[in-house]
Amino acid sequence: MFTDAANFDVRDYLRKEMMPHFLCPGCGHGIALRALLWALHDLAIDKDKLAVVSGIGCAGRLSAYIDANTFHTTHGRPLAYATGLALARPDLHVVVISGDGDCLAIGGNHLIHACRRNLKITCLMLNNEIYGMTGGQVSPTTSESRLTTTTPLGNNEPNFDACALATAAGAGFVGREVTRHVPKLKELIKAGLEHPGFAFVEVLSDCTEVFGRKNDLGSSPEMIMRQKSEIRPSAYRNTVETPFHSTSLPTGILTQNDRPEYGAAHRRAAAAVVAKGAK
Amino acid sequence: MSETSIDAAPAVAPSAAKPPFNVLIVGVGGQGVIMVSKVLAALAQWRGFEVKQSEVHGMAKRGGSVFSHVRFGKRVWSPTIAKGEADVLVALEWAEGLRWLPFLKPDTGIFICDTKRIVPPFACLNRTPGAPMRYSRETADEVASYVAEGYAIDATTMAEELGNERAANVVLLGALSNALDFPVADWETTVADFVPKKTVAVNLEAFRLGRTWVAEARAPAADVPLVHAPVAASYAPRLEINADWCKSCDICVKLCPERCLKLNAERVAELAAPEKCTGCRLCEWLCPDFAIRVHLDPQAGAEGTAR
Repeated sequence: MFTDAANFDVRDYLRKEMMPHFLCPGCGHGIALRALLWALHDLAIDKDKLAVVSGIGCAGRLSAYIDANTFHTTHGRPLAYATGLALARPDLHVVVISGDGDCLAIGGNHLIHACRRNLKITCLMLNNEIYGMTGGQVSPTTSESRLTTTTPLGNNEPNFDACALATAAGAGFVGREVTRHVPKLKELIKAGLEHPGFAFVEVLSDCTEVFGRKNDLGSSPEMIMRQKSEIRPSAYRNTVETPFHSTSLPTGILTQNDRPEYGAAHRRAAAAVVAKGAK
Repeated sequence: MSETSIDAAPAVAPSAAKPPFNVLIVGVGGQGVIMVSKVLAALAQWRGFEVKQSEVHGMAKRGGSVFSHVRFGKRVWSPTIAKGEADVLVALEWAEGLRWLPFLKPDTGIFICDTKRIVPPFACLNRTPGAPMRYSRETADEVASYVAEGYAIDATTMAEELGNERAANVVLLGALSNALDFPVADWETTVADFVPKKTVAVNLEAFRLGRTWVAEARAPAADVPLVHAPVAASYAPRLEINADWCKSCDICVKLCPERCLKLNAERVAELAAPEKCTGCRLCEWLCPDFAIRVHLDPQAGAEGTAR
């Protein structure tokens, strides 16, 4: 383990002139970014063969710090851009970094259709339960009773289980992990990158400055330790007996199947059309 | 009644029969203690002996202390071995071996032990590899003075070299086979019967390796053949902290398992107790600002610090 970690220096994958990054002190997104870069390092993916597409929000800004081909797109649409990119350039590893609001609210429709097509894209959804950059509004994953700027009396909407949504929509690979367990998160992202179809990875991250402060969850170390006490292993996955509850989320690989990948089918159909036109 | 008839009576009494051969097999849950004792018990039964085997399992689970008593002979009464009665003590872990030493016959007992150490969490005072321990500190030479005949085998490394670390127990079984006069072919048949089908080849190789290792070690009868436990490679952890990137979030300070970091006057993380740092990299991994990089500088002959 030591030698494995010793060879990875995250600074080799960062745009150092952009550092230090704009994230608040203790933000979990930085840890998630490290896990992604570590997974790319482990798989020896060439930076020139890597395309990172991101939307708007705190998570959306992460692509700017990666020393690779990066694309900062419109709000909620990184999957739409990534779909076009992956169809046109099947030689690239396309990674999407998106936040919970970006991916589930504004871009919810793009997510379910990306899952349905099962195109080879790795989608990282960094879930911090809030719209952090815009001032802390309620998001589709905010747990019930949590305080936000738009729910001053506590959120009374039920929240989304993004992994269940992705599975139901047909994603080939679905997994969830917390930022506390960095090597495990790295292994999960690695498995997602190796999956031949659409891989959806939900990373449970912490928003310390907006969400944590408003809900009295302590500072960043306390929030990270909270992950340990509240996240259950995948053995306790949601069943009828233990329904979805934001504080007992299953982690690990939740779905993995070999549904046909869309890109190959698309290229076959396109080649057939071209051949027909040539006659 | 003549005196001769009284004298004749004890000749058939059980107390006068040759006492059973006692083998005590100990280790840590998950190493294969029960498997070794099963092979031995089955083989002894096959050779026509009465066998009694009693073991502790289940309660100890993985990582706990596990032992198994195997007694075989013409007639066996008690299922357990009393203190000072074991003919052979086979230990799959160093500290477990020391724990059970008093059970060995003081004058003739044979001690066969793997030098592998599995330190329980509550005995782990210092996680630096190679750091001196306050737990089972006896060296192989010291143990040699306690026992009549002793073999400290680095069975785990030997099994690793064969390609399967889990065959270490069979290496020790091979070592044990020298102490008993059962034919080698019978041993190998029994081992092949008990190990998973896919691992028969590697286990038979492990058995032969253990058997020849002890046979070779026995050859120069003059001195007690003992090898020392391998010393873990020592290194000095060094933290490279980028003060310009640190945002004083306190994660590294609060989550360091050794509590060796602190925020300095400028509210920048710094290594306050370098002697406690074990180089576990948790601070590097959890730093959201990529400000910490842990280097493990190789340090030849350096000693870790005991607390």
